[in-house]
Amino acid sequence: MRRIQAIAWNTFREAVRNKILYSLLFFAVLIILSALAMGNLTLHEEIRMTRDIGLFGIDAFGVIIAVFVGVNLLYKELDLKTVYTILPKPLHRWEFVLGKWLGMLLTLAVQMGVMALVLGVTLWLQEAQFDAPMVKAVWLLFVNVMLVTSIAVFFSAFSSPFLSGFFALGCFLVGRSVPDIRALAAKLGPLAKTVLETGCTLMPNMHLFYPSGAIVGAEEVSVHRDFVSASYLLTTTGYGVAYSLIVLILAMLIFRKRDFV
Amino acid sequence: MSDVVLRADDLAKTFRLGFFRKRIEAVKQASFEVRRGEIFGYLGPNGSGKTTTLKMLMGLVFPSRGRAEVLGRPVPDRRAKRRLGYLPESPYFYDYLTPEEFLDLVGALFDVKRAERRARADRLIERVGLSSARGRPLRKFSKGMLQRIGIAQSLMGEPELVVLDEPMTGLDPIGRKEIRDLMLDLKREGRTVLYSTHILPDVEMTCDRVAMIFAGRIRSVGPLSQLLTARLLSTEVCLRPGAAGLPELPAGARKSENPDGLLIDLPANADVDAFLRAVLAAGARVHSLTPRRESLEDLFVREAANQDQGAA
Ligand SMILES: Nc1ncnc2c1ncn2[C@@H]1O[C@H](COP(=O)(O)OP(=O)(O)OP(=O)(O)O)[C@@H](O)[C@H]1O
Ligand SMILES: [Mg+2]
Repeated sequence: MRRIQAIAWNTFREAVRNKILYSLLFFAVLIILSALAMGNLTLHEEIRMTRDIGLFGIDAFGVIIAVFVGVNLLYKELDLKTVYTILPKPLHRWEFVLGKWLGMLLTLAVQMGVMALVLGVTLWLQEAQFDAPMVKAVWLLFVNVMLVTSIAVFFSAFSSPFLSGFFALGCFLVGRSVPDIRALAAKLGPLAKTVLETGCTLMPNMHLFYPSGAIVGAEEVSVHRDFVSASYLLTTTGYGVAYSLIVLILAMLIFRKRDFV
Repeated sequence: MSDVVLRADDLAKTFRLGFFRKRIEAVKQASFEVRRGEIFGYLGPNGSGKTTTLKMLMGLVFPSRGRAEVLGRPVPDRRAKRRLGYLPESPYFYDYLTPEEFLDLVGALFDVKRAERRARADRLIERVGLSSARGRPLRKFSKGMLQRIGIAQSLMGEPELVVLDEPMTGLDPIGRKEIRDLMLDLKREGRTVLYSTHILPDVEMTCDRVAMIFAGRIRSVGPLSQLLTARLLSTEVCLRPGAAGLPELPAGARKSENPDGLLIDLPANADVDAFLRAVLAAGARVHSLTPRRESLEDLFVREAANQDQGAA
């Protein structure tokens, strides 16, 4: 445990001392502030806008940072050959991967926490609240970001950072469009339908984590109303964690067989 | 055989490169043993496969053939790694960390408790001469300083066996001497050192035994004294001839002028005793007699030449 913790903490420390993360954070702040700048709206509309744009910002920046962090922090160890020093230490290779991943999650949790805090303050200035639906929404986005990180780590266990980033982002975009692809499949012939359906089952369904506006259990989900139920939150979190772990274990297996040259 | 701490048994590694899977035989055949308490030199020219061999022994690269064993266990084994220290070639460390932070991280990987980690880090920073660089991020370290912190991290786990890949690169003459002394200290503490290099004078000063690798194949393994003294190249006799002049020189001998008189270079197979008796009888004064043994450099060059012939 001490070993995994040491790797995780070091990963977090690296990310914090890495200036690029701050600039991404800066952009997120900018988006939220832009919500404030939307004048000429009734107060009610303004709060609505803030919540929508704020969540969109947290989502977009969370995912971008997740891909960047997931690909970069592992790749850097391989590229700069710090692994040569670390792996001959009394540490299993999987412990190294797990430690890196936990460190990335910690980094992303802090990033998303700060973004959520900024959003909360913005809402507070508008005399609105960062209420339970918002907390649930941000939580789901965090689970989504965790999944994206795991996928990025998986790809960077065997391919170049550019390709890994490309694939991870691709998975995210396709994953978010799973319901649309399903709808499309329903209109196609039997073969195309089977192929698309299978693809949709295997791909991570990331639409689950951003359900605002979607129909869940015959009702439209909205952060401006009740958002999702506790059981939805639980099962979706379970889905995200399980999918992450499977992908992470695959990454560990690949890592176990790798030559570090 | 408990006194063997590291064993390379018929190791080979073939890399495959590029789209056509071009084969590169980085190591073709490497077998040697390192015994407890010795300083073992792993010598070879650039690109001969030293780093690749060491990486196989450290579990970074999987051998294509053969077996690697460290501290009595097949590689990689976490229990063996606990008693092992390793410095990679031209090391690069987390550049955002200070030496203290970096050593603390390494100590944690050895499951060392926090207070003990701090104490060890302090001692090692002192030992490798980096006290003045405390609190400075590694990104601001010079090449030689990085090499020093690299050696410090290899000792963080108080290892029985220390494996160093070219520990002298990037060091100035003083630094090299310090590292040589450090290796001798480690030996005195009962630790075993295996290091790769192509700096031969360092080897002559430190190593008990060596292995030499050329183009991926180990050519000779043994105590330095045995590999070298086995070969007497020639005997140099410095003398001033007497009134009777010089007797006839043995076949193959060469004569040259020298401020003290004459320098006679007798070939290895000459009968030195008979020659001496003859010149003394002729009234000469002998100033000195020096057997010229093969230096490590001679051996190195000869083995490299053999290798070229073998390859041709
Ligand atoms: N990842 C790799 N892929 C392909 N070939 C490689 C790889 N690593 C090393 N080689 C080749 O294997 C051979 C041995 O390399 P190695 O680094 O082991 O040599 P070395 O003895 O350590 O050399 P040096 O003294 O320069 O450090 C070289 O010809 C090198 O080009
Ligand atoms: Mg090398």
